[in-house]
Amino acid sequence: MLRFAFRNLFHKKAYFLTSVGGMALALMLILSLDAIFNGIQAKITSYIDHSGADIFVSQSGVRNMHMASSTLPLTVVDQVEAVAGVESVTPILYMGNIIAAGDDRYPAYVIGLPKEAQAGGPWQITEGVSIPNDGEIILDEGIARTVGIGIGDRVKILSKEFRITGLSKGTDTFINSVAFISPHDFVGLRGNTESVSFVLVKVKAGESSSKVADQIRAGVPNVNVQLRTEFAAQERQVVNDMSTDIVVIMNLIGFMIGLAVMALTIYTATFARRGEYGLLKAIGVRNSHLYRVVLLQTLIGVMLGMILAILFTLLVSASVSALEVKLTLQINPVSLVKISLVSLLIAGLAAVLPVRQIAQLEPAEIFRGA
Amino acid sequence: MTDFSLRVEGISKRYGSGDTEVTAVSNISLTVSQGEIVLIMGPSGSGKTTLLLLLGALLKPTQGRISLDGLDLSSLAEKALPDIRLHQLGFVFQDFKLLSALSVLDNVAIVAELAGVNSKVARRKAASLLTELGLAERLNFLPEKLSGGEKQRVAIARALINEPRIILADEPTANLDSKIGLQIMRLLRRIAKEQGRSLIIVSHDQRIKDIADRVLWLEDGRFKDMVTMVTDPVCGMALEHEKATSAVWEGQAYYFCSEGCKHEFLANPVHFQTHQAALSLPSATHQEYPLG
Repeated sequence: MLRFAFRNLFHKKAYFLTSVGGMALALMLILSLDAIFNGIQAKITSYIDHSGADIFVSQSGVRNMHMASSTLPLTVVDQVEAVAGVESVTPILYMGNIIAAGDDRYPAYVIGLPKEAQAGGPWQITEGVSIPNDGEIILDEGIARTVGIGIGDRVKILSKEFRITGLSKGTDTFINSVAFISPHDFVGLRGNTESVSFVLVKVKAGESSSKVADQIRAGVPNVNVQLRTEFAAQERQVVNDMSTDIVVIMNLIGFMIGLAVMALTIYTATFARRGEYGLLKAIGVRNSHLYRVVLLQTLIGVMLGMILAILFTLLVSASVSALEVKLTLQINPVSLVKISLVSLLIAGLAAVLPVRQIAQLEPAEIFRGA
Repeated sequence: MTDFSLRVEGISKRYGSGDTEVTAVSNISLTVSQGEIVLIMGPSGSGKTTLLLLLGALLKPTQGRISLDGLDLSSLAEKALPDIRLHQLGFVFQDFKLLSALSVLDNVAIVAELAGVNSKVARRKAASLLTELGLAERLNFLPEKLSGGEKQRVAIARALINEPRIILADEPTANLDSKIGLQIMRLLRRIAKEQGRSLIIVSHDQRIKDIADRVLWLEDGRFKDMVTMVTDPVCGMALEHEKATSAVWEGQAYYFCSEGCKHEFLANPVHFQTHQAALSLPSATHQEYPLG
């Protein structure tokens, strides 16, 4: 029966290719949406992930950066630095704002970065400096390229003009970009010279970040202390809650389309051969054998569709990267496992109707010319 | 193969109930012995197909008993019937019903595999059977590449692969030209006689009568006695041989519906002979039909 399942599937090549192509496109839709979702998630926390800090200290009650404001007294910096196991502390100033380049406006995390920063600065500079002086700004190269500006050009934040002296890479998240200015300029924009937003902590080699974080919690009052991974998870969660419902809904739509395409494909394939299934039933083949044939065909179709979908998505991902657009498609192993399980679920569901169709098939009809 | 018989005792098949009840087969009894070829004929709607379905364990009779070597098929559970069909019965269909995606060899081998035969053995057996039926050069062809006669031979090989005791054939010559149809029927007769398999054929094809051991006429769900029918050479009317008036001319008997036709014929017999020749009719057409 295995041979029958295979031959049935591959007999009409054009039909088979169309079916598998349809499945592949449906799965690709799901996979691409998932990859986009992953890409967004990965990019959302790229500043935190690449900050170089092991621990983030923020104002009590503040758990993330996006749409949040944290204010810590300057004394906190010294208090944290005094905790055993701390190698360095970098106080940064932070606000979410708009960078205006001519008529173009881009949302950005604006970071006031001290000259002696051990963490929290741009992690890849493509051109220019890595620490901004007063009146200077380090801008994401993608944004600069999109707008058509570069080193020496000027942009505005809150009506104050900054000269671009550095271009960084990887600092453009899906939601916004990250720009770096001097703490002095930051204070000039926002006022309040006696505070910082976050303290970025690096722990000494061999020290446990968790233990150091516990010690900071114990020794420094009214602050929130989180490991980098915890801080990133909070950031993702907040952004997810705010903006990814749409992506989830689109994912669900992709799933439904995939299911519909596959169910229809397998249903019509079975329907087209119902005479043959009827014949097999008439000559004594049990229903269970025929169910296995349908399930096997569904699985083969789904697997081939899945492989094609992965290849297509990788191709699209590479094309997107080559085009240097803001969007990133990221296929991770978890995604593949998830999509495989979803595909199996779709295959199972898609086989239900054909199996039912076979179960209801009267072998006697074969003699009546049905 | 030991002696066996298919015994049908007073079976009826009714569809629907109450006012809408239809009796397709009514109180039929029949015994088919090993190697016997039984042809069942009858008009459309006479119950031939229903009878074939009952004999093929594809339908259960409303009443009566069908037994194969004493095993009462009509009392078996529904789930036991596929095994009976797979091992004891072979089916040959009017339109061949080959699996379009499988090669000739696979079309036959798959039935043996389904009966539990090892794949290699099944393929070897199928190849041997197909070679015996003159299809050695066609083993790897798809059914669409075969002629009608070749397709029917593949279907016969498929019906034989599990060495069934009974072969049920539904209009096996209907889609074949007369020459190929005759070849197929001779082949089936040879198989029945040489291998001791019983053959039950349902057909409208009068030519099959030549190879049948027994011809049964089914009408309104019942078997009727057969009578010999003749054709009046003057008016062309079909007549019961026994009830017709006759005349002999040049050593040949002619049958007429009335004395008028008989006199007309005798007045100019050459004219009616010529006329019949033009119509390609035999001078006295004999056909067996049920006693109406």
